[in-house]
This record gives sequence, C-alpha cells and structure tokens, in this order.
Amino acid sequence: MGLLALGTALDWPDAKKQAQLVRSWGIKQLLEIWNKAKGKERDIMLWGDEVEYLVVTYSKDDPKILLSLRQADILEALASDKALSKARCCSDGSGSPSSQPPPVFHPEFGRFMLEATPGKPWGIGFRELLEVEPNMKLRRCIAKDHMLPNEYPITLTTFPRLGSPGVFTDPYYPASGSKLRSQFVPDEIANPHIRFPTLAANIRSRRGRKVQVNVPVFRDEKTPWPWRDPTVNYDLHQWPEDDDVRNGAAPDNFIHMDAMAFGMGSCCLQITFQAKNLTEGRQMYDQLSPLGPIMLALTAATPIYKGFLADTDVRWNQISRAVDDRTPEEMGEKPLVNDRWRIPKSRYASNSTYISEDPRLRPEYFDADLVIDEDIKQQLLDGGMDDRLATHFAHLFIRDPIVIFSEDLQELDLTKTDHFENIQSTNWQHMRFKPPPADNSIGWRVEFRPMEIQITDFENAAFTVFLVLVTRVILSYNLNFYIPIRRVDENMETAHARDAVLQKRFFFRRNLFPAVRAPRSAAGSGTSTPIPSRPPTPAGPVEDEYRLMTVNEIINGTAYARGTPTQADRDAAGESEGDFPGLMPLVESYLDSVNVDVATRCRLAAYLELIRKRASGELCTAARWIREFVEKHPEYGRDSVVGEKITKDLVERVIKVGEAEARGEGGMEGLGLGGLLGR
Amino acid sequence: MTELILSTGNIVSGGPSIIRKPGAFRSNLELTNSLRSNFLAAQEDYALEQAENSQSDDVNGNSDGSTNGTTNGTISGNGVANGVALDTGIGGRPPASVWTARRDGALYVPAIDWDAHGLQEEPAQYDITAKLFFLPGAPVSQRAQYAKQALEHVLRELRAPAVDLLIVSFPGMSFEGDCEWEADKQNAGQGNEDEEIATWPVIEELHCAGLAKKLGLAEYGTEKLSRFLQKVQVRPVVNQINLKNCCNVPPPLGKLAKEQGIDLLVHSDCTDILPEGTLRELLGPGLSGAGLLADPETGAGGLQGDLTPQWVVKYTAVVRDRGVIENKGYFAGAELAEE
Repeated sequence: MGLLALGTALDWPDAKKQAQLVRSWGIKQLLEIWNKAKGKERDIMLWGDEVEYLVVTYSKDDPKILLSLRQADILEALASDKALSKARCCSDGSGSPSSQPPPVFHPEFGRFMLEATPGKPWGIGFRELLEVEPNMKLRRCIAKDHMLPNEYPITLTTFPRLGSPGVFTDPYYPASGSKLRSQFVPDEIANPHIRFPTLAANIRSRRGRKVQVNVPVFRDEKTPWPWRDPTVNYDLHQWPEDDDVRNGAAPDNFIHMDAMAFGMGSCCLQITFQAKNLTEGRQMYDQLSPLGPIMLALTAATPIYKGFLADTDVRWNQISRAVDDRTPEEMGEKPLVNDRWRIPKSRYASNSTYISEDPRLRPEYFDADLVIDEDIKQQLLDGGMDDRLATHFAHLFIRDPIVIFSEDLQELDLTKTDHFENIQSTNWQHMRFKPPPADNSIGWRVEFRPMEIQITDFENAAFTVFLVLVTRVILSYNLNFYIPIRRVDENMETAHARDAVLQKRFFFRRNLFPAVRAPRSAAGSGTSTPIPSRPPTPAGPVEDEYRLMTVNEIINGTAYARGTPTQADRDAAGESEGDFPGLMPLVESYLDSVNVDVATRCRLAAYLELIRKRASGELCTAARWIREFVEKHPEYGRDSVVGEKITKDLVERVIKVGEAEARGEGGMEGLGLGGLLGR
Repeated sequence: MTELILSTGNIVSGGPSIIRKPGAFRSNLELTNSLRSNFLAAQEDYALEQAENSQSDDVNGNSDGSTNGTTNGTISGNGVANGVALDTGIGGRPPASVWTARRDGALYVPAIDWDAHGLQEEPAQYDITAKLFFLPGAPVSQRAQYAKQALEHVLRELRAPAVDLLIVSFPGMSFEGDCEWEADKQNAGQGNEDEEIATWPVIEELHCAGLAKKLGLAEYGTEKLSRFLQKVQVRPVVNQINLKNCCNVPPPLGKLAKEQGIDLLVHSDCTDILPEGTLRELLGPGLSGAGLLADPETGAGGLQGDLTPQWVVKYTAVVRDRGVIENKGYFAGAELAEE
C-alpha cells in the first residue's frame, strides 16, 4: 500500500460524479510521466519484495487464538523506534553484516495485518540474494519485538476462522456495521484510516449489494450434502443488504462470505523489478504474465475459509470477488442502461492484455473482446503513446475511482501522479506495470503479484530468489512464454483446484526459443545484420505453439518429470508431445554461466531444491500441509469443519515454526515440517 | 599443417544447446552441441547467401560473392586446401568453401563476420570472463601462443579491450571424489605442477599487457594451491572448483582461500573439454558431423590428417548491474597435420 493521504473521502454517489474528472486528470498525469520517462535508459536492476503478516494473539493456556486489531499501535511503536536495526534481532545468528537500512513497515487493509519491505531495494549481486532470507527473518523479529508478548506475526495467507461465529478478534466488536454491512465481520476489521472503510463501502455501494465471496466447500466423508453454510443468518433485517442472502447470495455447497476483508485480508508475497528501460519493462511484464498461474499453483497455501475446508487451494478468486465493484449491468445480469459496457472480470483479476512491442507477440494472443475506453485511448495516442500501451491504460481506465478525496479535486497538479495512481493502484491484476514516479527518480517497474505467502521465511526467500533468477534467465536467453492471454485466464482458474500443482495441467508454450537461430553475430539486437538470415518460418496456427503441461514439466522439464511423475504427469502419460526443457534447468544453465562463489551457489541450491520438489510433489505445498494437519487432528470430524481447537493447534504450530526458524537451523525437528521443507 | 579455429557464436539465444541436462554435472555438452548447431546454421546461412548471390550476380557458385558477410577474401583463391578441393559438397552439405574461411593462415570453421560483432553497450558495463582450457594432447611449449591466440579471439569477438577475469584450466586435473573432502586429497597429486608453474608467466604477461584484469585458476585443491601461490608473481584471485552433491568446501581449502583473498567459484565444465575423438566426430562425415573431414570409408573428399585439439576458450559477458548474460560462446583451436 502506498502513502495514505488524509482528507475528506467522498461517499459513492458523490464520488461517482467526479469519476470522469479523476480519470481525465489521471490521463494527463500519465502523459506527463510518459513524456518525461519514456526515454529513460540503463536503470540498473533493482528489486524489492513485500511480505505480509497476520497478527494473532496466542497464549498457551488460552483456548482461543484471536486476530489482534492493534495494527495502528504496533506501527506506531515501530515508527517511533529509531534504532530498529539495533534491536536484539540483529544477533539472529545469520552472521551476515548487512548494509541494509532498517526494514520498513506498512499498514494494510486488514487491521490485523502488517506489511514489511526491505529498507532499500535489492540489487542483483548473487551474495545479495542471500541477504533476503536473513532480512525477512529480521523483519519478522523486529515486528515481534514491537508487539505485546502474546502477539505474533505469522505468515498464513488467511486466518482460518475469520468470520466464524463467536469471537475471533481482540478486542471483540459485533458484526453488521454500517460500512461493511457484513453479517460475519465487524467494520473494525478494516484499517480505520478513512481510505479503507471508504474503499469497502464504495465498492459495496457501486455494486448495489454486498460483495459475494463464495468458495466451494471441500466434501469430506461426513460432510452433509448438499451443504448449506450453517453460519449464514437468513433472518437479519438491519441493512438493505441483509436481503442479499435471501436473494440467493449464498448458494449450496459454497462457503459464503460477504465482505472485502475476506479477500483483502489475505497475505501475499509480491516482488517488484526495475527494468533497464521501457522496452525491457514491457518485455518482463509480458513474459512473466504466463508464469503467474504456475507460481500461484506452486505457492498454494489457502485451504481454509471461515472455519471450513475449501475445495480450492489459493486465495486469488476470493480477493477478486471481495473487491468486485461491478454493477449488475456491467456483469451482464441486466441489460445495459446506465453503464457503459459489460466487463468480464473484477478489478482484481488476471491480466487482460499484453503490452510489449515485441515482434514475437502475435495478434492472435490478444483478447479480441478487450474492453477499453476509446476516448482515453485516443487521448493517449494524441499525447504520443504507442497503440499497445495506450490500449493497456485505456483498459485499466474503464474502472471508476473508488476513493476520492475532495481536497484533491481543486486543481490538477501535474507534478503529482495521485489521480493516475487512484485508478492504476485499484486495478489489482496479477502483474502491474508501474511508470516512474512524478520526479522520474526511479525507473519503469513491473510487479509480480500472484504468489501466496509461505509459512517460513526460508520458503518466502526461496520463491523470491527463484523468481529473480527467472527474470534474469528470461532476459539473458530472450525466452518467449507467449500464449493467448485467454489461456492465461484459464490457467488462473485451473490454479485454484485442490492440489492443482500435482493434479492439473496448464497451457504452456512448447518452445521458448526462437524457431530459427539468431544471426551469428554478437550483438543480438544490433542494427546491422549483414549475414542473411533465413526467411522467417511462416507462423503456424497459434494452437500448435502451446500444449497442456504439468507444473512438474514446466518447472523441472519433461525429463525430470518422467522420473518423478505427479498424478497429472501420469494422467498425461501416453500423450506426450515433445520435450520441454523446464525453467529449473534453464536457471541452472544461467547459474553455470555467471561467476558464483561456492557458498552462494550452495545456498541457492537449497532454494532451488525446494521449488523443484514442490513442483514434483516430493514436497507438499502449504495448502496440502495444512489440510493434512487438519485431517490428522483428533478433533476433526471428517465434516469439513475446522473448529477452534484445530485452529489453535494449527496456528500454535505455525508460531512455533516461526520461533524455531528465528533461532536458526536445526530447531525444526518435531514440528512435522519434513513433508513441507524436506529437512 | 593447418590451424583450425572453431567457434560457436553467441549461444545465449541459441536454444537447446544451452539447456542443462538435469543432474549432468561436468559436461562438455554445451560446447559440442553449440559447435554442432553453429556449423549447421552456417552451412545453411552461407549456402543461402551464395545461392542469392549467384542468382543476382549471375556468377557461378564458386565466386567469392564479394558483397557481404564473408569478408577478408576468405573464399577467393582458397578453393584448394591440403590438396583437396573444398568446393565439393559432401553428402548434400554445401561445400566447405562456402561456409568456412581462411584468414591469417588459419581455417575458420565456420567463417566469422567480425563486422557484426561486439557488445551493445560500452565494455565498462560488463563483467567479461574468459576461461582458457589447455588440452592434454597439445604441446606445452606452445601454450604462450595458444593463450595469446585464444584471448585475441575473445577480445575481437566482443570488441573489448580486456577481459575482467581470465581463468586457466590445466589438463589432467579434477576436483572429484565422494565428497569435496576426498576431492581435495586426490587433487594434491594431479596435473603436472612444473608445467603449470612454467606456463603461468605466459598468463601473467597477458595481465601485465592489460588484456586480463584479474587471473584465476581451476580445480586447485589446498595443497596445489598453496604451493602454486608461493611460486608465482601475479597471484590468481579466483579458484574455480566443481561441486557435486555435498556442497561443502573442504575446510582447509576454504581457510586458505580466505587467508589469501581468493574467491572460490563454482563451475561445471569438463577439464578435457574437447577430446580428439569428439572433435573428429564434430568435423567428420558422419550424421552429426560437419562434413569437413574426409570420409575414410568412401574416400570422399575433405580434409585429411591427424587432428590435435589445442585449446578451448569459453567467454561470457554479463551486464554488470543487471545480471543479464548478453554474450557467451566458445572458440577452439586445433591443428590438422597432413599425413
């Protein structure tokens, strides 16, 4: 989350009236940055990770685990402590002298959440990659140090009993507040900064009803079927929105949730990369796009909602629905009368278009039905932006701004980007293309957003480092991951399935390399290519360029997958359609080509091994680990219900894992992590 | 006597030859695969170019083309080498004269268009590493010549004034065993220390001439390294070792390296990276060969004689602040002695 300006936030009817103004000012600000920054060159590779935490209260003797709502106090304690890095946490045994300034903590939507980022961006030195894990541990330790003794930062994606009947926050507040109007969570669940309750209220208001977050329930042996969410109250009559459940908002066999907090209260692991220039930024955006669903499935960590086992493993669609502000007209439920267009996806969804001017980007990869604001596109074209990027922003700008502060509407300030960011940062796609800030001090950036947070910092560092290396491989080998963008959407859905990592197959490009070898000159993209290159191979049907692959094949390659077949590999056996090299062998090949010292390479190898084994099923995802924990719990009745005792034991285990990890290597025995971490 | 200079061109966008086989440590597959694919690509490219020229210029296929790529008069006047007509296509392949070139007394396989080469940004933006392999069958006395030749080719290819790091790999050494501990012990008796130390001044000279900013070794265990350090003027600052599964640096080696300010880097190359048999197969008439050598069975035309691989140099240019490999490739030198 960015800086939180203070001001007078407009309620929806008033905000709606200003939407066009905000959009038009936003576009002017965008063009201002565009003209200033389009020629920016040779920015170095910098990147940053963001880790999000839930804050829980736990004590051995208290049967309840609760979400702590003391975010503001904790942040204040952190902000007022000028000597963060001098805290006891520095003696964490990592032994690496860090040049890093103290980490930075940020508020998040959930009042039980915290976000932490490194004090300054990382570079690409390989030894620097090894500082990520100690730094993540340091962040966790510093956060803990500024909490009450019974408060703990944990990295579960969601709190298993958020919205369950009874008490689940500390302090307790009753549900059905005026802002969220949720029958499950109180308004106080959200960060009290005016931006957040306004965001939630205006989304609900624009939509004309509460958000509907329905997750299929996992059907176990004794789960009653059809299953009706027993926590839904059909007899509330306090708010007009209480009618929603009587009007079919809570269908059978789905866990029903009704507030933004159920989605935006999830923790994720996000990474932002600075590109050397505009062209490289657009290339990274496009090439990382098809990897999004794969990394989502591989990091799956979200099997429980509102006290029930879900039939899905990841958070994505729940967040998508939790912030879906589309009206019935936009969703296609009613004829278009007042609204401008039908919109197929929520503001929080997978990418809908590619943005690079790469010659390998075939017209067939685009979505022919992409909704864009033609007037805005024309303004951008007139302002000198190229067609593809103008299309991208004209697509983002089909949305209304949700939170508008009246103070910002007095005059257009072209030295700021607030109106542009208002739309840009409430388009939560799985990649985000970020122009430089108004002062042009940093470069074009790309944010990779789909990954789920992992329980340990070892895992979070592993996925972070892996993704950083993958970007270097993409740029070095000029890999081509393009598939039709609609297939990326389908993959995103596939990634939700229970154990998708081992059970499902994903559309993925067969050949990542150019069909014809590049001219035998050193300068790959040099201007002169005196050697005649062979005529370009006529492009075949797009459908022949990709096929269904397992995550094991995509990550480890076909050869490795044959030796460690997952269920999906076995299902696909016999219809093998050619070898795929695998991202991991490409990463290894990259590491073989650069100078890496022994200690660094060995540490990196531990990270890569975790990813490799997660993909092959030799190790399980956090989602699988949590499911098994629940299934083996003596109080679990095989009825999909995750009760308070199970929740307490699960969170207690997660806290112990965190403490053991903070103490250093070797403290993890007896915590049942063998299947998760392989050590 | 014919000197052969083999090259791979830039292999980073070359596709399958860079792909690492899972678990295949210490391999020369990258070298052999990328040579093979570069030969094939050159045969196709230059054959196409020639076909276009012969159409447009209305001259016959043996002309030097003269308009493009193959500079330096590489083909004209060199239709005959070793008394064998190179112009005869073998087994459906284009004739050697089309895709190889002579320059300064050496036969370039394939021909290289030096004009098209170089890095995209100024050399200061890169970390350039070259690793020179002295091969086991080549005379030690010629190493000065080999080293000079190898480095010259790299610098010309990259259009850089110097490499940042030049690593030297001597023959007959390895860092292998059940674990790195074992490797370190075995290593102590390997190689030929006198020859290695006698060769080093050649490398030091390149450093002093400003062509290699830093020097490094490969496969030196604790004992060999400590003896080596006592006997040389310009000390190596890098020692490359191969790692198997155990990932432990033998503590004595770690300690020595730390004390002496030497970085221990990882590699996965074979020491004997281009055995004669492999080279013969690459250039030979077989299915996977380039068809440059005569076919002993049919007696069909081509080069004849004993082949001796002399040196291989691997080079990598990485954009320093971005971790992007822009250029990577190999040159190899070999001698063909006519029978």
